[in-house]
Amino acid sequence: MAIFNIKKREIECKIVYYGPGRSGKTTNMEYIYKTYKKQIIGEMVSVDTEGDRTLFFDFLPMGLGQIKGFDIRVQVYTVPGQVQYSSTRKLVLKGVDGVIFVADSLVVRREKNMLSLKDLQHNLKEYGINILKIPLIMQHNKRDLAEQGIPVMSIDQMEKDLNRQLKVPSFSASAITGHGVGATLKECLKLTLLSFKKQFKSG
Amino acid sequence: MNITKKIKILLQEAKLYHSQGLLNEAMEKYNNAKKLIQSNEQLKTHQNLINGISNKILALNEDIIKIEKSPKKPEVSAKMQDLIKKMVSFSSDKNEDLKALDGAIALAKLGQIKRAISEFNELIKTDSLRVVAAKSMLRCYMALSSKDEAVAQYEQWISDHRFSTIQLDKLRVFLENILKKEGVEKKLSKRKPPKDSIDEVQTEEPEVEDEDIIDINSLGITIHRGSQKGQVVEFKTRFQLGNVVSLLISIRDKDLIDVFKVGDMIDDIQYYSTAALYKGSGTVKSIKEVKIGPLRGDYCMDIKITLNQP
Repeated sequence: MAIFNIKKREIECKIVYYGPGRSGKTTNMEYIYKTYKKQIIGEMVSVDTEGDRTLFFDFLPMGLGQIKGFDIRVQVYTVPGQVQYSSTRKLVLKGVDGVIFVADSLVVRREKNMLSLKDLQHNLKEYGINILKIPLIMQHNKRDLAEQGIPVMSIDQMEKDLNRQLKVPSFSASAITGHGVGATLKECLKLTLLSFKKQFKSG
Repeated sequence: MNITKKIKILLQEAKLYHSQGLLNEAMEKYNNAKKLIQSNEQLKTHQNLINGISNKILALNEDIIKIEKSPKKPEVSAKMQDLIKKMVSFSSDKNEDLKALDGAIALAKLGQIKRAISEFNELIKTDSLRVVAAKSMLRCYMALSSKDEAVAQYEQWISDHRFSTIQLDKLRVFLENILKKEGVEKKLSKRKPPKDSIDEVQTEEPEVEDEDIIDINSLGITIHRGSQKGQVVEFKTRFQLGNVVSLLISIRDKDLIDVFKVGDMIDDIQYYSTAALYKGSGTVKSIKEVKIGPLRGDYCMDIKITLNQP
């Protein structure tokens, strides 16, 4: 739930990268940190454990400038993807305004993608959020691996598996090269800000 | 596709999965490649290939062990702890005290117990949060296996006039109850009422409140058999009745269902509540297949929990 500070004329919102372990959530954030320097307003904070696995979460503060006289600040987080960190993922989702689901294109990770999406739906529900109503973007990551002869799923397959009912905007990406990373985040921010606009109008 | 090419592809996949940290997937590909070579003894470099793959598997196993042994919730820097508080208090619909309570609870949940104790200690200054903060603090001491410190803290509060006698009685019963669950029968001291005082006279012992039976959100069980042997698998609590929690095991995890038998005593269980992480054990009371509804085919397992069993 975004924080509207009328006195300071500031809106602060929270975007969370979700997805199975090793799907590239931290790599997305690292690319954003390196590339969009103008919009970064603080250090990227990351705690990882053995094997570069995210332990609690990664954090990146961003500033998008002014919209209608309000400073837009964004807190970007990633969740730890490993199954055993379920309670941490739920904590990170608290107060979320927009979600980017980073799916792994590798054939061998097909089931993990589906389980992680189900976990997202469950955790959002626990906060009273309907997955069909929150600004959500799907990213099909690691598309570059097909060029190395590694079996990756077709986009059609991934859309059928993950996006058949949600029908949310989706992007092909390769977080390691940066392809699709900016587009995914921009779309998520756009949908999140539009959702605030709707909330303002309705109430 | 000829056999050499098949092996080459399997090894290429295994190498990539290993580099991506997908260790189980890498292991599967190396094993497939090894089996393929073993079944084709006419391959020229048959033994060299097997030796090479065996070395890769050894390296992979070392990485798996390193990850399993790494601390799951280590103490992090103060800066990171501040960020944990900030992350969970991201809301405009709560007052600052409740946000601070959320932050302290999150710290406890993520294993930052010492910092959580110091935050709860601050929250004790707030009237409306005094009892809940004090109980959380006692739970934190128990999570640190510091029973003596929990008792010492309670005894210190007896002479702390911020606590009313009724509040102290609640804390005493709460602490006696959690000590009892640990196998420690201890009658704690009460505050002596001042002479001629008719205020706050309580003739009966306060009952153990519902909140004193800790709500378990999820539990992590170390698996000792089957394909997930050695791993800690987290199960969400479906519902809880007293000290019996009900878990759901998906039919997709059939191998996990086979691991448990009614009557099994399970050691090394980590219980996650909203306030803290508890260690303990449990007994499998029942395992039943869900016969109707959307969960048909899944299994429901009831575990009787024992917290902080020494």
